Amino acid sequence: MSEDVEMKDQATPSQSVSSALPSALQHLKGISSIIESGSYSKEVRRIARALRLTFALRRKLTAPLLSSFLDYVLVPASELHAKLSSYLPSPKEGDREMEVDSATSAIQNPVAKHLLPELEIYCYLLVLLFLIDQKRYDAAKACSSASIVRLKSLNRRTVDVIASRLYFYYSYSYELAGDLAEIRGNLLALHRIATLRHDELGQETLLNLLLRNYLHYNLYDQAEKLRSKAPRFEAHSNQQFCRYLFYLGKIRTIQLEYTDAKESLLQAARKAPSAARGFRIQCNKWALIVRLLLGEVPERNVFMQRGMEKALRPYFELTNAVRIGDLDLFMNVAEKFGTTFNRDGTHNLIVRLRHNVIRTGLRNISISYSRISLADVAKKLRLNSANPVADAESIVAKAIRDGAVEASLDHADGWMVSKETGDIYSTNEPQFAFNSRIAFCLNMHNEAVRALRFPPNTHKEKESAEKRRERHQQEQELAKHIEEEDDDDF
Amino acid sequence: MDPKLTEVSQLFDRFKASFLRNDYDNCSNLLSQLKVLLTGFRSLPPLFADTPNAVHELTIARDIYEHAVVLSVKTEDQDAFERDFFQLKPYYTDACNRLPPSPQEYPILGLNLLRLLVQNRIAEFHTELELLSSAALENPCIKHAVELEQSFMEGAYNRVLSARQTVPHDTYVYFMDLLAKTVRDEIAGCSEKAYDYLSIKDAKQMLLFSSDQELLEYITEEHPEWEIKNGSVYFQKAKESAPCKEIPSLQLINQTLSYARELERIV
Repeated sequence: MSEDVEMKDQATPSQSVSSALPSALQHLKGISSIIESGSYSKEVRRIARALRLTFALRRKLTAPLLSSFLDYVLVPASELHAKLSSYLPSPKEGDREMEVDSATSAIQNPVAKHLLPELEIYCYLLVLLFLIDQKRYDAAKACSSASIVRLKSLNRRTVDVIASRLYFYYSYSYELAGDLAEIRGNLLALHRIATLRHDELGQETLLNLLLRNYLHYNLYDQAEKLRSKAPRFEAHSNQQFCRYLFYLGKIRTIQLEYTDAKESLLQAARKAPSAARGFRIQCNKWALIVRLLLGEVPERNVFMQRGMEKALRPYFELTNAVRIGDLDLFMNVAEKFGTTFNRDGTHNLIVRLRHNVIRTGLRNISISYSRISLADVAKKLRLNSANPVADAESIVAKAIRDGAVEASLDHADGWMVSKETGDIYSTNEPQFAFNSRIAFCLNMHNEAVRALRFPPNTHKEKESAEKRRERHQQEQELAKHIEEEDDDDF
Repeated sequence: MDPKLTEVSQLFDRFKASFLRNDYDNCSNLLSQLKVLLTGFRSLPPLFADTPNAVHELTIARDIYEHAVVLSVKTEDQDAFERDFFQLKPYYTDACNRLPPSPQEYPILGLNLLRLLVQNRIAEFHTELELLSSAALENPCIKHAVELEQSFMEGAYNRVLSARQTVPHDTYVYFMDLLAKTVRDEIAGCSEKAYDYLSIKDAKQMLLFSSDQELLEYITEEHPEWEIKNGSVYFQKAKESAPCKEIPSLQLINQTLSYARELERIV
């Protein structure tokens, strides 16, 4: 499961070559200056850019690099500096050279006089990333908790972007350490704060973290209650929206709202970036089961997506069993891949599928025979029960009521008579089918148009202001003309 | 020992005594008093304060609520069952690392599953099911409820009814009886769609009535549209009427207009 959280590649700490260090340090310094300028000009966009650059550097983060960066940004010997440095492993002999280098650069750039909160939080984030990559989860927990305490006292829009990342790694470090339940109260408090501050990105992130937290312990009831009551708004981050859709799909699947669940899960799988393979596999697994539960048979190419064949193999065999409607085969598959299904948390859903297998088998029978005795139905469905005929009779009766098969029963003679399927084109059915397809296409088009985003062309602002004035003048003149013409008419 | 705790345990002993005597009115009275007393303990959910007697207090509170749930079954009060169960639930989910597991846990969880099944709250049934570990699913009490749900969904109503003989706990009987009524309605609903007609004898057997009189009463009460003639029950009237041949012109016009509007927006 950890794979699907990390939408980015799992960074493996590369062996640092000492020549790479200075350039990485230069990069970090560059990023910190972007954050500074973003903070002064109150431009959230710049800070988002700085974060993007940071994640490109993630693989290069090393202890000496971080400590020299901390020396550069923070006031040496300040409380924060001491706290953050304590999380890093103590510098070894060979790194001393670097320290000297950084010390000189600190003197050259005495920016650290007045520390910006954005930079402070950014330092926390860097250290946290490093600790998680080093698999030092306990230190990561301590570091993230300290940063959250600090965050609660800050109320700046430019911090929000970094904060949302920090929330994520806060929860992630606790999840890796296996103490996710511990921070639930804290996350709820943070969500409340974010809501009060209209920090929508923070709300989005925290809501997802809370849902993840609940679902981790299978608390679907609480998750749904929170989800339905939390404020919703247009998504800010695609990644967060994907996660939200995935959690929503899971909740709806458990609550038997398969049609909605399928929609959310498929949308999540489609929207997810192609690098997020683990996440897409999870989405696909759930979507496959939901489609099976709906009585659909997923196409073969769903299972053959690149990089997913192996992971989806158990689900492929399962689909096969459901498609044929063979109860024995289905049971075998469920048993054979039991551990996989248990690990994916889909075991209970697969138990629900049994009913679909029977339905499919029944539908096959009803298509092939115009009249068949109930004893034969029971035999073909392989109902191993004490009273197969009576069982078959009631199962068929329920299938007829639910509209799964077109047939009627004759109790006196003990057989099932399939109804002739009439010409479908004589009904309104095709009309409905076409209508729903057309509506889908039109809706898709409208959504695509709505999803188009344009960068805010801020640099053109002044120019366009002048133009607008011109245009206004022209319009007013035009309006005057029209008015005059109108007057002439009278 | 804490005087408050002593008071609760004494009262609880009296409660258990009258519970054994099947004196349910007295039990309900005592239970209300006990619940009020329990609110005085800070170690109980949702506070979970670390008081010196915490384990003892939690254990006795859990015991009281377990009895309350069983009592609500005996008095056949489903709303009380739901209330008491929700009060009991935190003891199973959130206090499990403070207390040794209760022997009553699985029977009561199974009972709750059964209640949800009887009330046809299938979504909640599955939500509860997700909370259980795979070990819990193997427990006979839980398994019973899970298998019932499966048979119920499949339509194997015989298996649902025969499960009454194999109840794992005597408190389950009340819900099984309720389930039998639900099953009868289900069978009636299925039959009217699946059969053209049924002889009265067969219908009586299928709908689990012991006499023709009961069957006729049921039909007049629940399904007055069924017709009885020549010793058989005819379901013809309940069938859907023949498909209408008329063209739904108004609907078509609306659809076409909406397409035109959408297309105009695109072009």
